[in-house]
Amino acid sequence: MNAPVTAVPETLPPLASRTAGSYLDFVEGFREYILGSGADFERRLNQAAEAEEVRRGAKFGELAEIRTFLESLPLTHLRNRLTRSQQEMKWTKLSATYQAQREQLLAELDAWDERGPARLELDPKFVHPPYTNVHFHLQPGGYFKDELGGFLYHHGTKVFFRGENDKDELHAKLVSLVPPPADGNVARVLDLACSIGQSTTAFKMRFPKAEVIGIDHSVAMLRAAHRRASMLGSEVTFAQRLVEDTRMPDDHFDLVFAFIVFHELPQRIVRDTVAEALRVLRPGGVFAIYDFNGVQDQSPYQRYHRYCDARHNGEPYSQDFCDCDLAAILRHAGFSVLKAAALPDRAGGPGYMKHWYAVKG
Amino acid sequence: MVESWDAAAYAKQTPETGTPIAGDNPVYLPDPVTDATVRMLVELAAQVWIDRERLLVLETLLAEHGVVTRAAVESFKPSVQQAQEFKAQRNQFIEEVFKSLRTIPVG
Repeated sequence: MNAPVTAVPETLPPLASRTAGSYLDFVEGFREYILGSGADFERRLNQAAEAEEVRRGAKFGELAEIRTFLESLPLTHLRNRLTRSQQEMKWTKLSATYQAQREQLLAELDAWDERGPARLELDPKFVHPPYTNVHFHLQPGGYFKDELGGFLYHHGTKVFFRGENDKDELHAKLVSLVPPPADGNVARVLDLACSIGQSTTAFKMRFPKAEVIGIDHSVAMLRAAHRRASMLGSEVTFAQRLVEDTRMPDDHFDLVFAFIVFHELPQRIVRDTVAEALRVLRPGGVFAIYDFNGVQDQSPYQRYHRYCDARHNGEPYSQDFCDCDLAAILRHAGFSVLKAAALPDRAGGPGYMKHWYAVKG
Repeated sequence: MVESWDAAAYAKQTPETGTPIAGDNPVYLPDPVTDATVRMLVELAAQVWIDRERLLVLETLLAEHGVVTRAAVESFKPSVQQAQEFKAQRNQFIEEVFKSLRTIPVG
């Protein structure tokens, strides 16, 4: 039942030109340079912030205090300019290169819609709630307004992960860490806001006999997910549903999974989604969540980074998420929280990501 | 494909609460000229890398196949048509690198 999770081949459509690939290769390296130890912005700005705390004899309180201090430093403005630029450059180039292949790629999606083994269930009457109409991460058209949005997202995240997730290595690892229910039975898995279905197929690899369903509100994402899973020979199902209203039966799933979903939901929907996960899980079922770390575990620079990400990288709901206590929300809904801990960053300290494992009943 | 959203109503983003998101083309540096200069510099670096990587590929392939020597590249003279094509590409290059100039406010 519990098979090892192995890597899968790359399924992205190739870019139209080597020039576009070289440009994106630059963006990938440049992003790593400015966010990592190359430009060394994080360490230096955080050091300055912590020195300021020592000078004041008190920790920074409100985000506004951190903003006022960091934005008094010219380096912060340059960091913000460069961070925005690399993101804009990525999307501008990706969007242009896929537009040049638009007809061919749409025809390919059409052809894959009719093929298996993955299944695709679109809802002709589906209505996107206004809160979903955000250009998350500055992706042109957001998640659902460009028919090629799934390909854009897949390639955008490829650059984001510096090519280290080309074979879904990250999704496979996170899925492999999810604890099964205490009785070990995993017959049904629900992947919330599955986007292009990388964790959906990873769950199918881990639990080959289980029924695995990925849901998302975006047709563009679901079609790309369906094509990708079918290319991999994965018998999973993708359905157009809302995370807060899955229209799945009560007490139905053994595992519900949410990978970097919650920070892209308004707080009202966060609570509705937790309640929905509780409803569709069977007693003893596990709700596994990976998402942004909370403010309480963040350094001054990390808090500022999170603010910049919210304001300048199309993440309007992420700050409210970082400010909320998801473990408390889970408990209030009726979950028992098994684990709520920050994942380590590259240096081993508490990083930007956190995981929560909760059990129904 | 099923058209499942209202294009006119959703032309602009419609976030529900949360952090106000910056509009298009925000300026980060106190001086907009410096802001545009930084953008141009990064764009230029991307263009330089594209060319450098292509040269690496070409030089490697040409050497592997024994087709063109470095001396032949140095002495190359384009035809009239080739020269026109090169200039068109040059103009595209200038546009990509320097387009931020248009975003600098007059005042």
